[in-house]
Amino acid sequence: MTASQEIETRLRETAEQLLRDKKVDVFLGYEKASLPFRTTPLFVTSPEQVDRLAWNPFCTINLAVYLPRLFADSRRGGGRAEPPPPPTVGIVLKGCDLRAATVLIQEHQVPREKLVIVGVACPGMVDRRKAELALGEHDALGAGEDGEGNVHAVIEDGVEVKLSREDVVAEACLQCRTPTPSMHDVLLGSPVEATDGDGDAGRKQTADFEAKAPAVRWAQLREALADCIRCSACRQACPMCYCTECVMDQTRPRWLGAGTDGSDVMIYHLTRAFHLAGRCTECGACARACPMGIDTRLLVRKMNQEVEDLYGYRPGDATDTTSPLSDFSMDDPQDFLTEP
Amino acid sequence: MTEKTIAHTDLDRFLDCLKEAGTVYVPAKDEAGEVRLAEASNVESVALAYRNFRMSPKAFFLPQNQTLLRFNEGRVEEPAPPDQGTSFLFGVRPCDARALLALDEVFLSGDDEDPYYKRLRENTVVIALACERPVASCFCTSVGGGPGDGAGSDVLAVALEADLLLKAQTPRGEQLLSSVEDLLADAAPEAIQQAEELIRSAEDQISPVRVDNSAELLREQYDSPIWEEAGLTCLGCGTCSYLCPTCHCFDITDEMRGKTGRRVRTWDCCAYPLFTLHASGHNPRPSAKERWRQRIMHKFRYAVENFERLFCVGCGRCIRNCPVNMDLRRVLKRVGV
Repeated sequence: MTASQEIETRLRETAEQLLRDKKVDVFLGYEKASLPFRTTPLFVTSPEQVDRLAWNPFCTINLAVYLPRLFADSRRGGGRAEPPPPPTVGIVLKGCDLRAATVLIQEHQVPREKLVIVGVACPGMVDRRKAELALGEHDALGAGEDGEGNVHAVIEDGVEVKLSREDVVAEACLQCRTPTPSMHDVLLGSPVEATDGDGDAGRKQTADFEAKAPAVRWAQLREALADCIRCSACRQACPMCYCTECVMDQTRPRWLGAGTDGSDVMIYHLTRAFHLAGRCTECGACARACPMGIDTRLLVRKMNQEVEDLYGYRPGDATDTTSPLSDFSMDDPQDFLTEP
Repeated sequence: MTEKTIAHTDLDRFLDCLKEAGTVYVPAKDEAGEVRLAEASNVESVALAYRNFRMSPKAFFLPQNQTLLRFNEGRVEEPAPPDQGTSFLFGVRPCDARALLALDEVFLSGDDEDPYYKRLRENTVVIALACERPVASCFCTSVGGGPGDGAGSDVLAVALEADLLLKAQTPRGEQLLSSVEDLLADAAPEAIQQAEELIRSAEDQISPVRVDNSAELLREQYDSPIWEEAGLTCLGCGTCSYLCPTCHCFDITDEMRGKTGRRVRTWDCCAYPLFTLHASGHNPRPSAKERWRQRIMHKFRYAVENFERLFCVGCGRCIRNCPVNMDLRRVLKRVGV
């Protein structure tokens, strides 16, 4: 039995127990998707359904994105009717996902006491695009994993192709600083050491970009965003983008055009980056969701590094701290203030 | 008109002839390794072995941003239509070509034609390229199309070993082929047979989904719990509809600075809350449940009722690109289709 299979078995047992004991109203995990290298979210409400729960190297989606909406109704005020009581939610969270959930708890979007967190120590997930690219002209019909964590894809005529783990692990996972969830009610899998605990790889990417001349950076940014179709997948896949009404959707006044003119696209991405400064937990959901293959993380990563350097704060570390951008103290660094 | 063939080695000359008549777009690999339609003059080598483009070619007919009017100090001006002449799209896959028939129903049928769409449609010649290698998300054969379907295109091409088999689908396509007559030969029976085999083998690789009675079944399913379940999973982004070759909903806004500005038409999407938000603040589709139902109902029921045509061509882009890997085939199966 591979490590993933063991986790899957225990995951199903855990979910079954939680549902049977009525400790949770809904259990949120992953299910095998219709295409290889993928899973899809599964909302389990009865113990009979737990066998559909899956754990494999393709559980990339950050399920924390669903938490604010699961509690939205219970937090709704102002109406005539009493809001319904909050549900109790069991949820599978990897290290990065847990950091996102932590920020949601910290920002009072999700009540910790209504969550049963099933943390999974995550060795890194497969980037399906890398896997598809590695297969070249072939298409996978199915995919699985061997004991060493390498991916095995079945292509035409039932031929099996081995894709070595390091070639297909997602970029965000290679830069992961916290693969093992720190806060949990149940922990599955053996703890995994971070390969990049200090975030050096991300810093190097930012430094490389910053070393370029401003005009080059601007051109590179514009080029990177030239393919954006404004589908909002990056925003919708982001656990931190839970605003009831996003500024991009406001119409009175309309702050930016709805189309793909360069300035509108730029404002969209810059606004998102600013709003995520010191809040983004760098799970990579935005980049994974982008149908155009745009890596939207460069700007936010830079903002996060600024916040970490200035305030020694990383989002997702703890639920009882206040994020620097929501806080003020007299000895805050003020070097960024300049004389007019 | 009979089938013609052109040697692969003559493809460049063929494209050069088209270039004299307008702007030519051909499939080419970009820096990221994705094949997309690019202007032929900037392309070194035309790609023929690709699955399909990331984006459907609908933007050639329904641009994502289209300026309809300009306002200038209180004067309203209609911008002159861009003088771009004829465009030739070479290598459009049959599913995407077929999607144009759906768009035609919306923008060209009935009493009012959409002049903007009409202009682009009339000035764009589509040369479809039959599919050799469908992928796991393809289901064109279930929605009336097929890897060798020429519907919606002007010419259908099939890439054979030594040459391309060309078959005109419209009078415009016939005209095009006769304009390059010197480069063409009458197709040998072996070439025709080879093309048929290639298409048959492609058809065999596609797993069918039954949708023939979808409209009838969906009529009974308006209150099905399926929509609630789908709405729970759906993130509410516009990936599926922006990548869909038949989705055509748009918004019109005035972008003003003082008395100067423009009226612009942009793509819109039924997954967005703003799509149905009334000025009163009321939203008749308040959650993802109603929005998902609308998406499926529109494609598989309302379109059939209104136009006797499914508004899905089975290209599978929505399946391949959904950030949470939802598959409308699964939903259709649940509906009992």
